[in-house]
Amino acid sequence: MRISTNTFFDQGIGKITGLQADQLRLQGQISTGKRFANPSDDPVAAARALEISQQKEMNATYTNVRTVAKTNLETVEASLTNITNLLVAAQSTLVAAGNGAYSNLERGFVGTDLKNSLDALLGLANGKDAYGTYLFAGYNSEVAPFTATGAGATYNGDSNVQQLKVDAQRLMDVSVSGDEVFLANGNNVFTTLNDIINLLNTPITDATTQAAFSAGLATAISNMQTSVDNIMNVRAAVGSKLNELDTLDISGQDRNLQYEKSLSEIQDLDYAEALSEFAKNQTIMEAAQKSFSSTAQLSLFNFI
Amino acid sequence: MASNILSIGKSALNAAQIGLSTTGHNIANASTPGYSRQVVVQAAAQAQNFGYGFVGQGAEVSGVMRVYNEILARQMISLQSTSAAYNTYGNQLNAIDNMLSDETAGLNPSMNDFFASVQALASKPNDIPTRQTMLSNAQSLVNRLNSMDSRLNEIEQGVNSQLVSSVGLVNSYAKQIASLNDIIEQSISTTGNIPNDLMDQRDQLITELSKQIKTTVVPQNQGTYNVFVGNGLPLVVGEDTYNLVTTTSPTDPSRIEVAYQSAAKVTVLGASSLTGGAIGGLVQFRNDSLDVVQNQIGQIAVSLAGTFNTQHAQGLDRNGDPGGILFNIPAPVATSSSENTGTGELSAQIIDPTLITNSNYRVQYDGSNYRVTRLSDQTSQTYASLPQTIDGLTISQDSGTINAGDDFLIRPTVNAASNLSLAIKDVNKLAVGSPVLSATINAGNTGTGAISAVSVDSNYASAPLTTALNFTYNSGLPNTLTLAPSTQPVTVTYGGVSTTYPAGAPITYTSGATISVAGTSFRLSGSPANGDQFEIAPGTSAGAADNRNGLLLANLQTTGNVAMIGSNSKNTYTTAFSQMVSSVGNKARELKVTGEAETKALSQATAAMQSESGVNLDEEATNLIRYQQAYQAAGKMMQIASELFDVLLQLG
Repeated sequence: MRISTNTFFDQGIGKITGLQADQLRLQGQISTGKRFANPSDDPVAAARALEISQQKEMNATYTNVRTVAKTNLETVEASLTNITNLLVAAQSTLVAAGNGAYSNLERGFVGTDLKNSLDALLGLANGKDAYGTYLFAGYNSEVAPFTATGAGATYNGDSNVQQLKVDAQRLMDVSVSGDEVFLANGNNVFTTLNDIINLLNTPITDATTQAAFSAGLATAISNMQTSVDNIMNVRAAVGSKLNELDTLDISGQDRNLQYEKSLSEIQDLDYAEALSEFAKNQTIMEAAQKSFSSTAQLSLFNFI
Repeated sequence: MASNILSIGKSALNAAQIGLSTTGHNIANASTPGYSRQVVVQAAAQAQNFGYGFVGQGAEVSGVMRVYNEILARQMISLQSTSAAYNTYGNQLNAIDNMLSDETAGLNPSMNDFFASVQALASKPNDIPTRQTMLSNAQSLVNRLNSMDSRLNEIEQGVNSQLVSSVGLVNSYAKQIASLNDIIEQSISTTGNIPNDLMDQRDQLITELSKQIKTTVVPQNQGTYNVFVGNGLPLVVGEDTYNLVTTTSPTDPSRIEVAYQSAAKVTVLGASSLTGGAIGGLVQFRNDSLDVVQNQIGQIAVSLAGTFNTQHAQGLDRNGDPGGILFNIPAPVATSSSENTGTGELSAQIIDPTLITNSNYRVQYDGSNYRVTRLSDQTSQTYASLPQTIDGLTISQDSGTINAGDDFLIRPTVNAASNLSLAIKDVNKLAVGSPVLSATINAGNTGTGAISAVSVDSNYASAPLTTALNFTYNSGLPNTLTLAPSTQPVTVTYGGVSTTYPAGAPITYTSGATISVAGTSFRLSGSPANGDQFEIAPGTSAGAADNRNGLLLANLQTTGNVAMIGSNSKNTYTTAFSQMVSSVGNKARELKVTGEAETKALSQATAAMQSESGVNLDEEATNLIRYQQAYQAAGKMMQIASELFDVLLQLG
């Protein structure tokens, strides 16, 4: 077989440049830590990696939404706790007011006490979150939901509840509307308080007023109990939603870990393998260069 | 006799000299591209009969021949053009592959940021910074789509200019080959000898030509070559040349097409005529990859922007106004062929962004019917008149008259990504709330009935409620609801079963059932008391915490909105994008692997040719020594012949 001088040089150099290209590719892999730089290096793996990172992003998005949901619900829960405490204290005051030994003046003191509670309750009902929006206004969260009136308070908000998508298949209520808390079951807690305050401030002069007072007090105690029960229910619901969010968070974290693991398996470089291949290639390149240079020097023209 | 020896010596000297010259020529041209080594063909001169036998008369050189194997050469030329085609296509595609997959410049990061900010907007609709972030991310997404498409346009311009220079090269090679044909023919007919170096030059030109386009050579009797390119287009016939020219495409002024010029007629060549070589690779790249990717990115842009626009229009913004357009979507491009005889112009409009495909469409009028062909799969339909709607696109006639034989090209998504823009700059105009605002329990209700939030269907925005709808609960057997005002039918769906009550009829109450009326839907649940009332009232301004339209906008990320040809199911935007990246990656890999294989085959074919025709310097060194010795021996022989003559002279 005959080899022309051109072939000898072309192929020799061709092999060396091929080895150089390989080295460059290995170097690129080692410095980025990624097994493939472009989808064309490994299209199947690239497509899978893209898919998994999309899912990972969605998972992260839901985690963010859950953070918002938790903040909202925790704020609501804290406020409901305060409201509950206030109402429970008002309840014991009410029961105490039934003391037949109280004079009109003393009942007046109770009335003032309850008036303070009513004002405080109104303040809590018009509570805001960290962003400055009203908690118990339904969708109308930039207008104070409750306005004090002579009969107690009127509700300016609506019955809507804000929902958030906290997981792929879970749309969760993350707010509580004012009417659900304070006006449910036909009981307006402000009206209840207002009425009994008025009664307490009315002097008892005769049997009629006494009977009116007793009946009014009984109604107030009963209505108040209903309101407190209702608020406890709402609180329980909020609490269970917070629990659910925690569970979702845990499974979200698990999923995230799985996605990261899968992604790493697909696209991360095995450094041990890459470095040993790099060293091997280096040796081959050196051998190729040395052998080429020694055979290239052989020429009959040196001897004639 | 002595003179005979002298003339034999002279012929030997001559032969040795020619041998040395040829060897020297070989050594000098060892690195000349396309050079085939030349050998001297020596023959014994005609012997003379002297009665006692034939006495040889020395050597004569019957010719200088180049070592050239035509079969190996044809093989190499064919591999040259396929290898050039693959490598050109592969190089161009790599540019797109890199652009799509780049982690910072690719589309994925922008899309992810945009959707994350839409989710954040749905979570905190009344927070101004969150709204601003959503607008900024939308603008970034638009910018990214713009810049990707403009990069594709740059690549197209690059293809245009490469086509121009390739065609220029083809034409210049053709001229040179034709003139060499002329000279070679003359040399052969006047001298009878073959001009080896000119033949080498011509073969080298053919090799260079085959890198540009597939080349076939048919040698003729007088030593000329007839050269055909592509699928058999004559380029050089004897001394005549025909030209390839570049011209603007009749249907797209920004595109350059390769055409064939014969006599005065210029015919635009299709991809099937332009195979092989850089030209074939470029044309195939443009048709199969560049155009497809541009249309696909456009389709994603149209689908995303269109579906967001549709959903946005169903919401209410912070001022209580219905949402306007979120993105400005460029109109489809409709061009009339420059060869049309009529003056008709067509236009096209996108009416359903979820049905738009990534194909172009061709409309042809034959005098009575319009034939619309979807170019990606060549399916067509015939209509008697326009306008017609196909694949979410309405094609209609704008102006002028259309004559029989007129041809139009419609490209729905080609400009969508580059000319997409954001239509909203004011954060208050983001429509995150939904039109029907309030679902209220009457304050005097005594039962435990609850009403859910109200959602609207896609037709609500065009016919919103103007008055409140009031539902009153009537306990009885069965428990019913009465609607006032009672001008609309009501549909109740529970457990997958729907019942429709005509306007005014009492509606049976089922706790938890979904009630739909006038485009709205909501749920009533619990146990209302007799006389309890529930109201759905159209709001004039969205409550600041109303995020219902925001939730629906965020849901678009996971619903299938991008149509696929040949399938009834649709992809999500990110899936459509991933598929596009994946198919470009696959094609690039295929081209890389095949290109490497072709390059290897080419280098083997080249090596085979070189092993026959290439110069080996060591071999030539040996030849030098051989001819030198022959020369020395011949010289010695002439010296002896001269001494013999001296002997004769001394006799007298």
